[in-house]
Amino acid sequence: MGNMKIKAKEKNGIVKVKVMAKHDMLTYDQAKKKGKEANFITHITAKVEDRVVYDVSTSQFWSKNPMWKFKFRGNDKGKKLTITWTDLSGKSVTESKKIK
Amino acid sequence: MNRRNFIGFGVLAMATLPATLSALSSIDFRKEKPDVWTAHTVDDAIKAMYGDIKPAESGVTVKAPKVASNGGAIPVTVKSDIPAKTVALFQDANPEATVCVYNCDKDSIIDYFCKIKMKKSGTIIAILEGQDGKFYKGSISLEVALGGCEG
Repeated sequence: MGNMKIKAKEKNGIVKVKVMAKHDMLTYDQAKKKGKEANFITHITAKVEDRVVYDVSTSQFWSKNPMWKFKFRGNDKGKKLTITWTDLSGKSVTESKKIK
Repeated sequence: MNRRNFIGFGVLAMATLPATLSALSSIDFRKEKPDVWTAHTVDDAIKAMYGDIKPAESGVTVKAPKVASNGGAIPVTVKSDIPAKTVALFQDANPEATVCVYNCDKDSIIDYFCKIKMKKSGTIIAILEGQDGKFYKGSISLEVALGGCEG
């Protein structure tokens, strides 16, 4: 727990979301130098209830401890926003936050 | 296909199996189009992702600082008013070209922000696949003072 910091706010039917996650995002080059396995977030999905509102496949070129923002249409005040990321090792973290 | 990729697919396949029935479904482009992620040039990556396309050079805005002091975290914003199916982000400074691929629907607002790594100065390119089946392109060139892939 506590891997992601999520902020979600609805205004005039548009939900703005800002997320910060903790992840090393080791590229293949970096990993080789450090003698570790490369590992980075490969997929992120955000849902409001069962509706997918954000879906991205990512590469090693997102920054360390990545932060990202997105917007979508929906009157979703008070609903729960759930964000899941999966990394190359198969680890997956899910956290949720109520939309303000 | 090398061993590393193969293992990756298995894991991702399991992770994405419970597909949702909503308008916007979760698509793992790393699994769907594995060649995109190993392509070394932007042209190859675009070809692997979308095929032989001739995108219109308009409609998509990519924002990033002209000079990035820290190549490890370059803030990038992609914006567009065109209803999109997918938006893909590429750059030409790193060993592989593809940064990320967004999956969009009618409720998505194309205003995505993320921070990316770039080894050296280069160009960030965004390709938008419209709901109309056409392709649009936006790009920005920037200088990177301190490369971000060295770790």
